[in-house]
Order: sequence, then C-alpha cells, then structure tokens
Amino acid sequence: MTTSDTLSIAAALPSAQTRSLPVRLLHRWWPLLVFLLLLGIGWEATKLVGGQAIKIDTVILGQTVQTTYKPPLKFKFANDLNLPHLWDIVGALGRPAQRGGPPLLLVLLDGAFFTFRVALVGFALGSSLGLLLAVLLIRSKLLNRALVPFIVASQTIPILVIAPMVVIWLRAGWFSIAIIAAYLSFFPVTVSALRGLRAFSPEMLDLLQTYAASPLEIIRHLRVPAAMPYLFVGFKIAATASIIGTIVGELPSGISEGLGSLVLTFAQYYSTGPAKLWACILVVAGLGITTFLIVQVIEMVALRNYPRRPDTTA
Amino acid sequence: MSEVLQTSELIQHTRNKSDMWPRIMHALPALLLVVIILVGWELFTKVFNIQQFLLPSPSAILAAFVDNGEQLLVSARMAIFESAGGLLLGTMLATTAGFIAARWNVAGRALIPFAIGLNAVPTLVFAPIMNNWFGSINPLSKMMIVVTLVYYPIMFNVVRGLTLVDMSALEVVQSYGANEWQIFTKVRFPNMLPFFFNALKIGATLSVIGTVVAGYFGGQRAALGVWILNQVILFRFPPAWSGILVACLIGISFYLIISLIERLVLPWHNSVRGQAD
Repeated sequence: MTTSDTLSIAAALPSAQTRSLPVRLLHRWWPLLVFLLLLGIGWEATKLVGGQAIKIDTVILGQTVQTTYKPPLKFKFANDLNLPHLWDIVGALGRPAQRGGPPLLLVLLDGAFFTFRVALVGFALGSSLGLLLAVLLIRSKLLNRALVPFIVASQTIPILVIAPMVVIWLRAGWFSIAIIAAYLSFFPVTVSALRGLRAFSPEMLDLLQTYAASPLEIIRHLRVPAAMPYLFVGFKIAATASIIGTIVGELPSGISEGLGSLVLTFAQYYSTGPAKLWACILVVAGLGITTFLIVQVIEMVALRNYPRRPDTTA
Repeated sequence: MSEVLQTSELIQHTRNKSDMWPRIMHALPALLLVVIILVGWELFTKVFNIQQFLLPSPSAILAAFVDNGEQLLVSARMAIFESAGGLLLGTMLATTAGFIAARWNVAGRALIPFAIGLNAVPTLVFAPIMNNWFGSINPLSKMMIVVTLVYYPIMFNVVRGLTLVDMSALEVVQSYGANEWQIFTKVRFPNMLPFFFNALKIGATLSVIGTVVAGYFGGQRAALGVWILNQVILFRFPPAWSGILVACLIGISFYLIISLIERLVLPWHNSVRGQAD
C-alpha cells in the first residue's frame, strides 16, 4: 500500500496528540503553507524578471540613496497595472479608499459583514427548505415521484445567470439576493439529507424495534444521529454556494453596501488603483473561506463524540 | 470532507430498471406536471395580465427566440467556444493536479486544501482582473473564469477515483508483483474514469454559467452574457429569457455529449449498464 491510499486531509499522526497545538497545526498544514509561499515567491519573481522598475531607498550613513532596479524583461501581464506587488495590495488595505475616508480594510469588512448577513439569511432559508424536502421525499412515495423531477429540473436553471432578472423581478432589495442564495443552497442539503437519512445501519433498527421503540424514538436516536455527518457535507456546500450567490446577486442589484458592488466599483477604477481591486478580491476570498471554516468548526464541535466519521464521500 | 453532489443520485433512487412501459408510466406524472406548469404559466400571464418585465409568457419567450435567432446563433457559437475551451483547459489543469495530489502525499496536503479554498471563493469576481489581463474581448478572459469554476470538482473527483480503489483488487495485482505503473494502468486509472466523467458532467453546466456570468462584467457585444445583460438593462425581458434558454440548451447538450462519450469509453461500468438495460 502506498502512502497515497491513506491520503486524507484530516490525517494526523497518532503521536500528534501529545504535541502542543501550534506544533500540531504546523505539522498538518506545512505543505499548504509552503505551496502558498511558493505562489507568492513566483508572483514577485515574475515581477523581478518582467515587471516595472522598483525604486529602493537605502539609508547609508544618514544619507538616503535612491537606487532603481530595472527588470531585464518586460511582460505586459506583469506590469504594476496587471499584477501589483503583493506589498502594494496589502498596503492598499491600510490606506483610505477615498480621500479622508476610513481605511480600505474597514470599508471592505463592512461590505463583507453585509454580504455575510444576506448570505446567512439565504443559507437558513435554503437549508430549511432542503431539510423539509428531504423529509417529505423520505416519507412519501407519491411526493417523491411528483417532486424529484422538479428538484432535478431546478438545478438545470442557471440561477446565477438569471440573477439580474430575479433581483429586478422580486424587487425586494437584499431579500431578493437572499432568495438567490437560498435557491443555490437548498439542493445540496436535500441530497445529503436524503443520503444521510438512509444511512442508519439495519441492525440498529432491528435492535431498537426489539426494544419496542416508537417511530419518534427511532428518528431521534437512530436516523438523525446517523444523518448528521452527511448533513454537514451538504451544509458546507450550501454555505459556500450561498456566499457565491449573494455576491453574484449583488452585482446587478444596485445595493451598494455589499462586497459585490465594491468589486464593481473598484473594477471601474482599476486603472487608477489596481491594488484596491486585488485587496477587495482578497477580502472576498477571505469571506468565502471563513464561511466554509465556520461550518467546519461547528461540525467538529457537533460531531466530536462520533467515533470515526464514516466515509461520507462514498 | 467537502464534495460534489449530483443530480444523478436523486434520479437513481427513483429509477425503475425494468422494461419500457413502467418507465414511461413512471415518467408520466413528471411530464404531465411540466405540461401543466407551462400551460398554467401561459394562462397565468394572460389572465392576470402580468407585465412582461415581471414574467414573460412561454410563448413570448419562444417568439423572442425566433425573432433573435440570428443574433442568438452568433452568441451561442461564442459561448460554446468559450465554455468548451475553458472546460478543456480546466480539465487538463485539474487532472494533472489530481494525479500529482494522489501520487504524492505531501503534494496532496498542499493541493487539496488549496482547491477546497479556491472552491469557497466566488471566483466570478476574478472576471474584471481577467478582462484586464487578457482584454475583455479575448475569449481567454472568459475561459480562465471557467477554469477556476471547474477546477475543484474535477480535481477532487480525480483524487477520489485514484485513491478510493478496491483494496482486494489492489492486493491481487500486488501479489502478482505488479509495479506502480501497472497498478496505475490496471487498477487506479480504470477506477478513476467514472468519477472523472461525473466531474465532467458537473463541469459542463458550470462552464456555461461561468461564460455567461463572466460576460456580465464586460466582453464582446455579441457575447451571450453581454447580450442578455443589455436586454435586461433595456427592459426587454422576453429576449433576455430567450438568451438564457440558449445558455440552458448549450449546458444540456454539453452534458449529453459527455454522457455519450462516457458510454463509449466505459461500456463495462455498472452505473452505465444500469441505464442501458
């Protein structure tokens, strides 16, 4: 058996239990950190080879000497407009977005918070609907036959594509965006809940029935606990999708509080401040990943007593 | 672990594997409902005099589809080129990354979390950057967005297909002294193919969505996304919906083409056999 057979992101060595948390985290995540570092180095190396001239101020004996580094080649994609220096992007976060305004980071975090709230409403609506559908489909054969074609058909409608129309159509401001997010998030929850509600072991059911357990008790003690790991798979996809739906929904909505409209604004003024758009995208990426991690942490807490997570990917 | 869910899974629960007649009977309620919905939609817009900008009737969308036929044909050709090109590029990149991640544990621990992170990022917001890099009228700017969208499902499924192999099959070939290359060609690669095609089917619809939504950020005037958005801005909704109809049709035909290739490449696989008989 090669090492790749046991490949798993959750893989941690047995001895890891005895180490301190930072050491354990480092041990688990160093390949990713190295990879990201290499990406950053590659970025700046490209700029060193084919970017624009860099002015460097060095202080020698109290005298400021300005030297200019001229890259040997010129790549169009590596100039400061198309590929800003990483430090310029991070620096843009600290500077005001507009003259006299608050720092860009605060503006972006405000936008991220607005987007997050809208996405959360959409996620809550979508997951509730998804769960309800799954329970209905499990309970009734007739509903199954009537609803499944529509649930499948609903996924052939590219909701992100019709987002501009939905926003105009519903004329409900941020709530119409939440509905787009809900539309995107109900399906993964339905599918994973269906899989989860069927995932209990038949022996357990036999055992509970020998003890004359009521249907409610069977649901409470068997079906729901067995479904939990599967449900979280769906929740994670739904959470990610709700953020994507919210940001794409914000684009045509004319609602100016969210990250989506900030992306549009900075894209318009890209030629005067490319680092701002990159900083904005950095925060968008951060929001998506943070949302995913929130669900992941909730999963870890909620399922902490589960002996070993079953292979929910099978 | 995060993963990719599939519509086919839902269908499988309800599919009846016997002969033709029960299958027609089985599909009948669904077909009837579609007809009822279309007729109901048409009547609803007529009887209550719903304005076009709220909800155009199916007949109005169809009429707009016919009226704008020439324009839609040009847009469709561009969208097909951009989506297919992006899907192809993304598949090559993701498959390579998947092979590397499955082969070397360390690479997997770097590439898989990176892909999961990328998947959590609404990469559609990269569209303005790509427009700057490649020029908004360059098809590559749309293809790159498609690449970021399809990268995760394809790579994830390739890794799963290569690693979730039948342990007994692995032991058999190992007991015959198979080397790593033979294990790859005899066990891992065949095992990967169904996963790979599932991922391609997901990518098929994603690629069209990516092309159209990236078009909302600008592009050639005839591009499908740009055209749809312009119709919406002019409050010409039936044409806008006819453009969306075109996007759906492209996505569905991609899906069908990939299913067809899957049947040709994988005639032995269970999930395909189940559909065939």
